[in-house]
Amino acid sequence: MKNNNSLFIFLLISMSFSLQTVMAQEKASPGKTIVNLRYYNTNNSLQYLVLQSQLKKEGQITPIKGKIYDIFLDKSDPANLIARVTTDKNGKANTVIPPTLKSAWEATPQHIFMVKEGSEEIISDYTINKAKITIDTTTTDSIHSISASVQKWEDGKWIPAAGVEMKLGIKRLGGVLPAGDDESYTTDSSGTVTAELKKQNMPGDIKGNYTLSAQVEDNELFGNILAEKVVPWGTTLQPDKSFFNKRTLWSTGIHAPFWLLFMAFGIIVGVWSTMIYLIFQIVKIKKIGLQKSA
Amino acid sequence: MENSTKILEQQITQDLLPKKFGKRGMAWTGLLLLICLIGGYAYYRQLRNGLVVTAMRDYVSWGIYISNFVFFVAISLVGSLITAIFRLSNVKWSTPLTRIAEIIAVSAIVMASLIIIVDMGRPERFYNLFFHGRIQSPIMWDVIVIATYFCISILLLYFPLLPDLKILIKNKDKTGPGLNKLYRFQGSFWKGTKEQFRISNKSINILCILIIPVAFSIHTVTSWLFATTYRPGWDSTNFGAYFISGAFLVGAGGVVVAMYIFRRYYHLEKYITELHFEKMGRIVVLLALLYLYFNVNEYLVPAFKMKKSEEAHLVELFTGEFSVMFWFAIMVGMIIPIIILLFKKGRKPLPMFIAGAMIVVGAWFKRYLIVTPTLLHPFLPMQDVPLSYKHYFPSWEEWAIAMGSLAAALLIITFFARVYPIIPIEETIMEQNEQNEKDEE
Repeated sequence: MKNNNSLFIFLLISMSFSLQTVMAQEKASPGKTIVNLRYYNTNNSLQYLVLQSQLKKEGQITPIKGKIYDIFLDKSDPANLIARVTTDKNGKANTVIPPTLKSAWEATPQHIFMVKEGSEEIISDYTINKAKITIDTTTTDSIHSISASVQKWEDGKWIPAAGVEMKLGIKRLGGVLPAGDDESYTTDSSGTVTAELKKQNMPGDIKGNYTLSAQVEDNELFGNILAEKVVPWGTTLQPDKSFFNKRTLWSTGIHAPFWLLFMAFGIIVGVWSTMIYLIFQIVKIKKIGLQKSA
Repeated sequence: MENSTKILEQQITQDLLPKKFGKRGMAWTGLLLLICLIGGYAYYRQLRNGLVVTAMRDYVSWGIYISNFVFFVAISLVGSLITAIFRLSNVKWSTPLTRIAEIIAVSAIVMASLIIIVDMGRPERFYNLFFHGRIQSPIMWDVIVIATYFCISILLLYFPLLPDLKILIKNKDKTGPGLNKLYRFQGSFWKGTKEQFRISNKSINILCILIIPVAFSIHTVTSWLFATTYRPGWDSTNFGAYFISGAFLVGAGGVVVAMYIFRRYYHLEKYITELHFEKMGRIVVLLALLYLYFNVNEYLVPAFKMKKSEEAHLVELFTGEFSVMFWFAIMVGMIIPIIILLFKKGRKPLPMFIAGAMIVVGAWFKRYLIVTPTLLHPFLPMQDVPLSYKHYFPSWEEWAIAMGSLAAALLIITFFARVYPIIPIEETIMEQNEQNEKDEE
């Protein structure tokens, strides 16, 4: 029994030393730099890349500002340099694919993006297949439906991409509102998802328009793809002009209510006229004093 | 008889004339100047780098500066209590305290106006408040009422000073030529004629009547800056009265502290007597009980209902992040002074000084608790914001500026006491003569 206790105490002390050593090492370590690269394609017209650089230290992740990276297309040659980027305060840097690389970009359906920090290769295998989304809408008996198709570029033509997870939504000020019943959908063999619009009578703009969006997020083959379409399905926004140019508490200063102006200026004039009267009393006292001196 | 009156007058004048700083006075002034300089440097940094040097962020946009502003506005109310209310109520014993109260009021209102400019990120745009100000906004009312209260307080300080200026000019050999020039500029025309006294007394009476509603307005409007905003902790109909009662308490506490210090260091035991402490003690305990009553209303009633929107704020105050400060402010700012002052022995100068200091310190923290915790509990949840937005602790620049403003207020009082008699000489002589005549009868 005594031996067991001794062993337990010995183990406890050893463990605490080991733990302290590990913790000390972790504290002393400079931390690990995490670099992520993401590809974005918006409405099949704008392709761009977002690089994010973060430092993981003592269990905390913080963005790294001011780091310089080189991003390459397919080969890490100077001729294939997409851009030299510097991270901002959020540790992020953006770049579009430049026109000089147009022929290289169009030559193959699949591309590899590489990232180098100085001479050190950070990312060498971020592979993207070219893909796009198209949105179709139909209205039957006042029921609106949205069909979105994902197509990938293969053998010189666009072919359907099956099994891709996608979100369908309505763009609002604070984010994207799901358009149908589900948060996300998966494309069928024809590369299409269909959802019935469940959000009726959503406020649109002054013409009743709002924007639908179909989005593929962080797909390992296609990256991030987004397509948008403006539809006239919303209710027309009627700006409330009932109070415009009227005298209210929330109008501009020049349109303050009369009752407030009357009260405020009544008090101000009352108090300040009394004070001016009192200043005249000082003048009066002064005159009396000067007369007496004379 | 006439001879003895003259000796008495000479004695009073001798006792009450402003005195040069001694070693302690110089050290005190030097210390205050140093704190002001550090505050000035911190403000320079704020001007150069912007409000980012403060700990104020999107949620807590009113921090220690606005707490300090509310504190200054509160303490400034004492001028109307001691000078106006007591004068109109024909309270004679308050004569030695009137000027102390008035200079506290003036220094506090000056610093209140300045600290609000410090809180502005772009102070050079201050003029826009006048060109594009909206009379619908309580902030505009505050600007107007502070400016008005400042002018009334200056007049209320100036009128009773006129007869003393004559005495000061007469005692040129004791006050020095530099100060004499100032006295002559300010009051050489005062000859003490019957007509001058009549106009002056009438003006003081008008000022006393005028300052009471303006003083009430200044603090009510300050309370409305909060109460007209729909937020937990501020959305209260009790706020006007709650602020006024608190202001009277901290102002009276400030006067007690000043009474003790002036009495002790200027040897004014004959003029600020134990009777003054006894009477002020009774007033302070009454005001403390009144303020405690409003605090019970302000916290206990919402806590009894514990509405969801108020819950986070109240729990934070009672048992959370601000609980130590909250209970400190309640205990030190109200309950312990009440216990001290309820007893006759507690109304002696030293215990009164301790109680007064506790009230002032407690009141400063109370203002911080009124302003800051509410801002950390908005109705909409805080999402995707840096950690620094969720907590507030003032940066060193904020502390330095806030302490610098407090030091500057004390500096104004210190310089005033160096230049002018802190107890009205003429009024004291007149009251003493009246008392002697009564005694002889």
